Amino acid sequence: MSNAKQRSDDPLLQWVTFRLGTETYGIDVMFVQEVRRYTEIAPVPGADHDVLGIVNLRGSVVTVVDARVRLNHETSDITDETRIIIVEFNGEVIGLLVDQVSEVVYLRRSEIEGSPRISNDETKRFISGVCNKDDRLYILLSIEKLLGQSEADMEMDLF
Amino acid sequence: MDEEILQDFLIEAGEILESLSEQLVELEQRPEDYDLLNSIFRGFHTIKGGAGFLGIDAMVECCHITENLFDSLRSGKLTVDSNLMDAVLSALDEVQRMFAEVNEGEPATKADPALIERLHALESGQATAPASAPEPSLVESEAPEASQGSSTVEAAGGDASEAEFEAMLNAIAPAVSSGSAATDAAEESVATADDDLITDDEFEALLDELHGEGRISVAAESPAPVAEETPKTETTGDDEITEDEFEALLDQLHGEGKHTGAAIAAEAAPAGDKANSAVAGASNVSAMPARPKPASAPAKPKEETSVRVDTARLDDIMNMVGELVLVRNRLVRLSDKNETSEEMAKAVANLDVVTADLQSSVMKTRMQPIKKVFGRFPRVVRDLARSLEKEVNLELVGEDTDLDKNLVEALSDPLVHLVRNSVDHGIETPAVREANGKSRKGTVVLSAKQEGDHILLSITDDGAGMDADVLRNKAVEKGMMDTEAASRLSDSDAYNLIFDAGFSTKDAISDVSGRGVGMDVVKTKISQLNGALAVLSEKGQGTRIEIKVPLTLAIMPTLMVLLQQQAFALPLASVNEIFHLDLTETNVVDGQEVIIVRGRPLPLFYLKRWLVKGANPFEKVSRGHVVIVTVSNQRVALVVDHLIGQEEVVIKPLGKMLQGTAGMAGATITGDGRMALILDIGSLLKRYAA
Repeated sequence: MSNAKQRSDDPLLQWVTFRLGTETYGIDVMFVQEVRRYTEIAPVPGADHDVLGIVNLRGSVVTVVDARVRLNHETSDITDETRIIIVEFNGEVIGLLVDQVSEVVYLRRSEIEGSPRISNDETKRFISGVCNKDDRLYILLSIEKLLGQSEADMEMDLF
Repeated sequence: MDEEILQDFLIEAGEILESLSEQLVELEQRPEDYDLLNSIFRGFHTIKGGAGFLGIDAMVECCHITENLFDSLRSGKLTVDSNLMDAVLSALDEVQRMFAEVNEGEPATKADPALIERLHALESGQATAPASAPEPSLVESEAPEASQGSSTVEAAGGDASEAEFEAMLNAIAPAVSSGSAATDAAEESVATADDDLITDDEFEALLDELHGEGRISVAAESPAPVAEETPKTETTGDDEITEDEFEALLDQLHGEGKHTGAAIAAEAAPAGDKANSAVAGASNVSAMPARPKPASAPAKPKEETSVRVDTARLDDIMNMVGELVLVRNRLVRLSDKNETSEEMAKAVANLDVVTADLQSSVMKTRMQPIKKVFGRFPRVVRDLARSLEKEVNLELVGEDTDLDKNLVEALSDPLVHLVRNSVDHGIETPAVREANGKSRKGTVVLSAKQEGDHILLSITDDGAGMDADVLRNKAVEKGMMDTEAASRLSDSDAYNLIFDAGFSTKDAISDVSGRGVGMDVVKTKISQLNGALAVLSEKGQGTRIEIKVPLTLAIMPTLMVLLQQQAFALPLASVNEIFHLDLTETNVVDGQEVIIVRGRPLPLFYLKRWLVKGANPFEKVSRGHVVIVTVSNQRVALVVDHLIGQEEVVIKPLGKMLQGTAGMAGATITGDGRMALILDIGSLLKRYAA
């Protein structure tokens, strides 16, 4: 192919995309272990409020984080399309609850723009870049930042 | 450096170092114990050998000089005193430090030259014959064997293992030269050794002779077994002798000489002759590749029947068994619920039994004697007593009690804290003890025993005991409570104050204890292990601290409860009783709902209000299930919606994000495949009931 040379210094990256509300996000496919249908999540009292609880993944306990809360979206109901994306980062396995998982897209590194100026500070922490392709805006997440820190919202009382 | 050899060395040396520290302290108690001396000598020798092979020169140097010192000790040229023991113990520390460095993959740094100097000084001034005869009386029993030895050497030819042989000669020669009857034969033997080479086989035969001699000198008292033993010696295998076996043989020979007095030795001589002729009669002795009977090297048979297994593999097996237990639970529940055929029910019942057996067998493979932890205490107590100028005698009881490997490791730190505390706070100085009419030497007893499904550990001292009033005053002084509350504390509640953070009765902070952090750590650690702590004390008589921990950490018996359709597991260890209660019959004291159970008021809490989101705190419940739990002497009543029953669960750790969540010890998968949270009642109360 004619772009064989171009390929080497402009790698093609694969992103698993999912939807939250009207927006489309992407996660590097290398971190994604599997995508599961919604199963009942056992809540963990006293956990951060963006942590939904735990699920049984073939005998091991996996923490499920609500991506909507993490990324400052309105919460919505569980539907048939709701999925849990199981991601592994640094040996730690975590589930991300999302509204819908769409497809795997191939993006060239050159197509990805760096620091976006699109959202408030709270969410921007988790974003590694954006890409505008085929009239769609992909918001690409940094797994390190998304899972590395949790909101220190410990004082939320249950009463 | 070959990685595999290094790893083997590290494992072996690690074990030796562990036992060495214990043996050294023991030696101080029983300086005359010859076997012990030998065993220590051998320990240093083995480490030296391994270190030499791997080129860890610093370790070789340190072990070598210590080994020499013990050589002098066991030959009676030096005697054990505390000065010498200090030096040897610090030498051991040095070796341990180097060992740690090598373990980290760093080169070992040289030992402190001053220490080496000191060891040299201790050892020098003595005639340095490597190993001389323990007692002249041995000569008589060795005489025939020496002559036999010489004939073997004469028949020699071929390859030599000269070093070993020379060591052997060293062992024989002094004995012989100080004797009278066998001098000629011995000289002959030495002479031939100088210019002739011998084969391994012949050397072994020679060893056997020696060995036979040693045994017979014991057996002489009852001559019957002699005939039986000698043939056996001839017929066993033809392996090459290892250095360890050789050492063991030499040691045994020496040891025997020590123990059998002159009278027995005299008797032994004829018996020895008989044995020799029996051996010679069988065929040409020198050509007979014989091997010592297993009994001669006690360490040997053990190795053959056990296998070293990576602990990670054991953990894997344990996890899988855990999974199996969960599947079993699930099947049992399914077959209870559905109408199953008789065969199916039988199969499930069978599975139930087999799984239980498998679980207990696997658990047993992970069991280790608590000796592993107890082993460090003689040293800890000795050093501490010396630095505090106290006289303390440590007694270990129930060292062979087995418990889960993880538990053994986890208990180590808390026990060190408690034992140090007993020595520092408990035992008085000798002068004070005498003034109080006690013996100068205090006693600390560390004991372990199994009681049903848990282990009871106790640390008992016969020291000053605790004064409840002093503790109460201290609590007020530290602002932990007001005078009135303090005076209401029962004595045992007052004793438990020592486990609170920041509480220390010592006025001066020493490097030993007194910062008031230790006991707090102990309490936290023990409750993490689902254990319980109790303090018993009598002023002037001493203190006893009891620790109860479950046998294993991997599988935990729990009480499953439901709170609004969510399952939670309460560790059964902390559950006291369960009953149905009319909740309208409660009282309110100080704004806290309480119930009276057998005359005692217990605070009542609704678990649902704590643990279920959106539960109505003012919901009126007229009747409910009440679970009484006890955590570190705090007894409370918890109201739950439903009781499911007792279930053995496998503890699964929560993910990093959820670790440290108050009140949660982990999670598990219930019999019906759902997730249940395992509650940590201690931290639950701390978080919600405060």
